[in-house]
Amino acid sequence: MEGFLFWFCGGLMVLGGLMTVLQRNAVVSAVWLVFAFINAAGIFAALDAPFLAVMQVLVYAGAIMVLFLFVIMMLQEPTLADERRLLRLPLWPAVALPPAAVIVLLAGWFRESGTSGLGPAPAAGFGGPEHIAGLLLGRYVLAFELISIVLLVAIIGALAVGKDERKLPWK
Amino acid sequence: MEVTLTHYLALAGVLFLTGMTGFIVRRNALIMLMCIELMLCAVNIVFAAFSRLHGDAGGHIFVLMNFAVAAAEAAIGLAILVEIFRRRRTVNVDDLKALME
Repeated sequence: MEGFLFWFCGGLMVLGGLMTVLQRNAVVSAVWLVFAFINAAGIFAALDAPFLAVMQVLVYAGAIMVLFLFVIMMLQEPTLADERRLLRLPLWPAVALPPAAVIVLLAGWFRESGTSGLGPAPAAGFGGPEHIAGLLLGRYVLAFELISIVLLVAIIGALAVGKDERKLPWK
Repeated sequence: MEVTLTHYLALAGVLFLTGMTGFIVRRNALIMLMCIELMLCAVNIVFAAFSRLHGDAGGHIFVLMNFAVAAAEAAIGLAILVEIFRRRRTVNVDDLKALME
C-alpha cells in the first residue's frame, strides 16, 4: 500500500510540478500546483503522517492556492505575452548544474542504501492529531507561540503594503 | 522493490529542482512565487520522511511551522505584487528593474 501510494502520488506530483513550470497561463499553472499539492497529501499518508496529509489539503491546496488564484484573477494579466521562450546564455549553467549535481548525489545514495526500508512500522496513533497536539503544546510549545507572532507580523505587513499610503495611521 | 528513504529524498530532490528551475526560467512573478511554494513542499516531504525513519514526530511539527511560513510568505509576496502591479501595470520581472538602473 505504501509503495503504491509513493509511486502513484509521487509520479503525479512530479507531473504537477513540471506542468506548473511549463504552462504559460498563470491560472492553469496554479491549478496544476493544486494538483501537485493534493498528491503531496498522498505522500504524507504513505509516510504515516495522517494529520499532515489533512493539513496539506486544507492549508496548502485550500487556503494558499485560493489566495494565489484570487490575486491572479484580480491582476487580469495571467499570461505574459512577451515572456521569453529561452533563457539568455549566461544563465544556463545556473539552471543545468544543480540538477546534474543532484543526479550524481542520488546515484551514490542509491548504491549505498538502496535496499534498506524505512524501518519498522510506527506505533498506532503516530502522526495523528492527538500525537501532534501533545508535541505542539508540550515539547514544541515555544515554536508554536513564536510562529503565531510570525503570522501576526505577516498580517500587519500585508495590510501595510496593500493599503493606500495616505490612509495609514502614522501619516 | 521496497520504497526506501532514498526514494523519498529523490522525489523531494526532483520537486525542489523543478521549483528552482522554474524560479530561474520563468519571468512571471506570480509563477515564480508558486515555484517557491513547490520548493517548500519538497522540503516538507524530506522532514516527514526522516520523521518516519526515526519514529519521532518532531519533524511533523517542523512541517506545520513550514506551512505557517509558506502562508506568511504567500500573503506578503502577493501583497507586494499587487502593489507593484498597481503602480507599474506589469508582473514581468524583466520590466521591474528600477533598483538596477
